[in-house]
Amino acid sequence: MTSAPQPVLYVHGLHKSYRGRTAVDRVDLSIAPGERVALIGPNGAGKTTTLMSCLGMIEPDAGTVELLGSRTRRARRAALARVGYTAGQLPLPPHLRVAEYLALFGRLYGAADPGEQALAGLRRFGIEHLARRMGAELSSGQRTLVGIVKATMHAPALLVLDEPTSSLDPEVARRARRGLLELCGAGDAALLITSHNMAEVEQLAQRAIFLLGGRVVLDGGIDEIAVQFGHRTLEDTYLYLSDSQPQSAPSRGA
Amino acid sequence: MAITLPADSPVSALRRILAVAIRHGHVTRRSPHRIFDIVVWPVVDSVLYGSIARYMHQTASSAGSSRLALLVVSGIIMWHVVYQAQIAVSTSFFEESYSRQLPAMFATPLRPAEWLLGAALQGMIKVVTGVTAVAVAVAVLYGFNLTDSGAGIVPVMALLLLTGWALAVIVAGLVLFLGSGSEALTWGLLFVILPLSGALYPVSALPSAVRPLSAVLPTTRTFDVARAVASGAATPWGEFGIAAAGTAALIVAALCFASVAMRVFWRRGFISRYL
Repeated sequence: MTSAPQPVLYVHGLHKSYRGRTAVDRVDLSIAPGERVALIGPNGAGKTTTLMSCLGMIEPDAGTVELLGSRTRRARRAALARVGYTAGQLPLPPHLRVAEYLALFGRLYGAADPGEQALAGLRRFGIEHLARRMGAELSSGQRTLVGIVKATMHAPALLVLDEPTSSLDPEVARRARRGLLELCGAGDAALLITSHNMAEVEQLAQRAIFLLGGRVVLDGGIDEIAVQFGHRTLEDTYLYLSDSQPQSAPSRGA
Repeated sequence: MAITLPADSPVSALRRILAVAIRHGHVTRRSPHRIFDIVVWPVVDSVLYGSIARYMHQTASSAGSSRLALLVVSGIIMWHVVYQAQIAVSTSFFEESYSRQLPAMFATPLRPAEWLLGAALQGMIKVVTGVTAVAVAVAVLYGFNLTDSGAGIVPVMALLLLTGWALAVIVAGLVLFLGSGSEALTWGLLFVILPLSGALYPVSALPSAVRPLSAVLPTTRTFDVARAVASGAATPWGEFGIAAAGTAALIVAALCFASVAMRVFWRRGFISRYL
């Protein structure tokens, strides 16, 4: 008899309010090792609050977060060594060279050879020529790619990306997606990603969790969702769900 | 396959502390304008207060005024230990805040205390540079030699260094709580403490209404000791013990305050300010 592998991220009953306004309402989610999951929903649906709560940057009012088997704040902080995080809109420090910035995070993650791992990460995304450039000299797309390298250079078990390709042109976005898929395929890394680009979600994720008004209104396989709702594409389903009121949305697991 | 060291080992903690120190070392070396904080303003302060002290000495021309001038000049040097220690750590924290690196840093195993130690470590370079600049300026311009005070000045400077770091922790807590707009507090806090602590004069010179405030500041006792040592007297160890206890209490209070501010930061979702 074989038991199911322990999830890399397990969230149960997550609840968060800001000054009486509910941001996240009893969210449950679980991500298995190597699984690629997209957290989707309109602006203000609670995606970023959910991600930040999972990473310990927001303290939930209620609920449980277990990151790589660690539940307490202290244990989860140690577990962050095996998690990679970046957000598409985050800048780079202007006074650091790309290689210095990556070496800094390599050391913070505990990478044994941060310089070499940074270089390998830059090569993976085809931007090794940026290693000596200063953060302030990069375009927004280049900064985003360096952010992705930072999140992936230590071969994390879980990769958390908040709208990682929002500032990238189509060609660079495709290169970023290819690199992410290669990393997830080779290293068995799980992926939790938020995106408003449904074509990207279809390419990157195996499963989508739809948040609306802070609640999970849909959690299913990418290939099944559109069929289930009688739509042609994930985007059509997204628009249909966004137009629905949370009360009339399909029940979880639909 | 990347090799990763255990995150909770002391070696990993030390590597994270050094990583933060190196990161801010790069920033300092590439920010020529910071030379104003580290060297230029301290030297300007030396000229300002040193000249006031010399003028008072010339007009009064008594033995007492000569001692007073000495106390003002030595007070400037002592004050810049607090100033540089506080500014070095606070501006490093502002660097993380302005460049919106807090979410990325908090998503690693880095502990707040490790960040603080890293920032303080690289800040030592600024403290040594700034205090040396002031000491050289007053030696060249006013003939006051700090080394004449003897080794007794070293523990006093250590207390002032710790005071500066404690103030930086309070400022970091305020920034976490109030946001980056509270930058003015970095300097504002210092300029409240400078006159109340009697850094350049005995607290008996303060208006009686503010003396109770002065009495509760641990820096007041430390500057009392600094004045005694600078004037060539033996270190008053009893007074030093009280100053050390007050500094320890300030450090504990600063850490408690920052810890509460951090809890509020997590609880109210203030991280969203940096996304």
